[in-house]
Amino acid sequence: MISTHDRIQLLAEASALPYVEALMGKITAHDLSLWLEAELGNPNALDGFHPHGDLLSKAYAPKYILHIVSGNTPHAAIQSIIRGLLLGSHNIIKLPSAGLPELSESIQQFPSELKGLIETHDELTEELLNKADAVIAIGSDAAIDAIHKKTRPDQIFIPHGHKVSIGIVYDDYKGAADLAARDVSLYNQQGCLSPHAIYVQGNIMEFAELLAVEMEKFTTYNPPAPISLSEAGAIRNLRETTRFIAANNTTTKLWESNDSLDWTIVCESDPLLKLSCLNRCVYVKPLPTDLNVMSLGPESQHLSTIAIHPFKQNTVTSLTELPAHRICPLGQSQQPSLFWHHDGFAPLASLVKWKDIG
Amino acid sequence: MRATSSTEHSLITAITDALIDGLAAEENTFNSLAISVFKNQHDQNLVYRQYCDSLGKNPSNLSHWHDIPAVPTDVFKLEDYPIVTFPIENTHKTFLTSGTTTEVKGQHHFPSLEFYENSIKSGWDELDLPHPSQAIFLTGSPEQAPQSSLSHMMGVLSDSFAENATWAIGVTGKIDFDKINLAIKIAIKKNEPVALLGTALAFLYLFDQLDSSISLPPGSWAMETGGYKGTSRHLEKEDLYQLFEQKINLAPDSIVNEYSMTELSSQFYTRGLGRPHTGPSWTRVRVIDPLTETDALPGEPGHLVIYDLANFHSVMAIRTQDIAVRSEADLAEGNNSFTLLGRDPSALPRGCSRAADHSLRS
Repeated sequence: MISTHDRIQLLAEASALPYVEALMGKITAHDLSLWLEAELGNPNALDGFHPHGDLLSKAYAPKYILHIVSGNTPHAAIQSIIRGLLLGSHNIIKLPSAGLPELSESIQQFPSELKGLIETHDELTEELLNKADAVIAIGSDAAIDAIHKKTRPDQIFIPHGHKVSIGIVYDDYKGAADLAARDVSLYNQQGCLSPHAIYVQGNIMEFAELLAVEMEKFTTYNPPAPISLSEAGAIRNLRETTRFIAANNTTTKLWESNDSLDWTIVCESDPLLKLSCLNRCVYVKPLPTDLNVMSLGPESQHLSTIAIHPFKQNTVTSLTELPAHRICPLGQSQQPSLFWHHDGFAPLASLVKWKDIG
Repeated sequence: MRATSSTEHSLITAITDALIDGLAAEENTFNSLAISVFKNQHDQNLVYRQYCDSLGKNPSNLSHWHDIPAVPTDVFKLEDYPIVTFPIENTHKTFLTSGTTTEVKGQHHFPSLEFYENSIKSGWDELDLPHPSQAIFLTGSPEQAPQSSLSHMMGVLSDSFAENATWAIGVTGKIDFDKINLAIKIAIKKNEPVALLGTALAFLYLFDQLDSSISLPPGSWAMETGGYKGTSRHLEKEDLYQLFEQKINLAPDSIVNEYSMTELSSQFYTRGLGRPHTGPSWTRVRVIDPLTETDALPGEPGHLVIYDLANFHSVMAIRTQDIAVRSEADLAEGNNSFTLLGRDPSALPRGCSRAADHSLRS
């Protein structure tokens, strides 16, 4: 059994691998220690009994964690694995049907002590499910529901289902356009932290025009990954339907990359939150005066992150009643802090169980 | 009411003739009619004209049906922009796309159903499909489902070809087995084949409830249509046809599949397994690679675009969200033949089998 201190050192080493650092940002041993302390009250809570009120308590990590990861969110997969490794659990990873080759290659470069705590599988067997003390499922609501039905009551179950994120721009359109383009474009909008719509206070057309310039700039330096026939068809369908409306209504306007499907902006006056067809397609909409679930519509029940600009305390406070679990500065939507509560879960504390003395 | 111009009247006559005499099979004839229909739709339908203008396309710079702007089926869902060539208050009939109560439904308005009904009857004969004389319909009747284009089509087939018609799904949405058994008994007595026509889902529900197989009179056949997207059921076509064989003793070659949609006025058919769908002579299709918006290479998948002269009062060129291929063999069949691969997974759940699914599940 590797001590928490040693695991932290090894994980800091693994986190410096290019693939991991690109997805997670720079993570030091000190960060990992602070994270454990923040969630478990003591960085050594997994190694021994420590004061907890009038008790002495020790945290116990699940022996086996089953991570069922999806193909479109490699960053969620690596986050989940890092959490399991930090706790010292044995991590069983069920890969998506198309695999995650970069993740698998990266794991091969992990220090051998950590590699020994990871196994990958292409198929989800009953044996794997039965073996797990905790199951973390990332995917569609239907897939998660199917997995949940197969778990036992004594297994910890952490679902990461359908989520959608948005941006809000109150002012400084020029500064915001660059940040919004980055949030929309990173990972080709595949993750739940990717904004589907940017809500703008004031002149939506003026902001959309600036956003179009920044989307093109971002694409020049970060071309999108190849897309499937189906994804391309969805973008064409969105573009042509929008072009039809825009031809008949001046409150709707389309901006699109020339001779490519690289990026698309649909600017429209209806504030209803709609799901984008992804791959750098984003709606620009007016910010409702009464910003709530009623004005944004039923999709807002699935809000994950609201990325705002400028990021000011008073505006943050006005948003805390929305169902989103995270409010962050625009431009950082895709880079949550190590300490964030993923979909409202404390990612380490939710996995451990405790023993008390006293 | 806006008076029909003499040009429009001549065009209506020309299309009506094409639906009867099959002359649009000839490429130049189809092209000439298609360009005239496009001109009429561009002139008479402001919302379509504005769309065409935004693409820089109009009757003066367009000479081939390939280049006629196709509208996505989603445009039929835009209530504020009805896609009609006539004053909307002159609507005689509106068909709605199927879907759940919360989904926005597409609307196809008609000032008269003359083209629509002629297209069904003439297409049936032109493609040499058998006449359903002893017909059992596994759909709601047109009276029960007045906004369903599929029910209306079944009604036209019944009125045109059926000596005896049995509507086997009642107002409750349940299959009436007594009615089916009675219809089969009458057909056996008359020594006439039975035709069963319905959605793939309705057939599945029928098969679910059959404890033992039914023997149909010799020469009986079936027509199935629609997909399963958005429902709890899914079956590959091969598996469905195996059930046809097990449950009602019909071999794949005795089963016709119909492909169409509320947004169209014509239908495409295939028989058995592994054969392409073919439309009547007044239709054409393209399979478009959405990445390049050019024709997909032979054998390569793309999105199906349909050109239907019978869609005279709305828009003749429709961009579907269905994926198809045109093989070298399909291309040799002509420009109205394609092999359907299925519904694009990115598209929203819809399809004419769904209304049946919602009623049958209860």
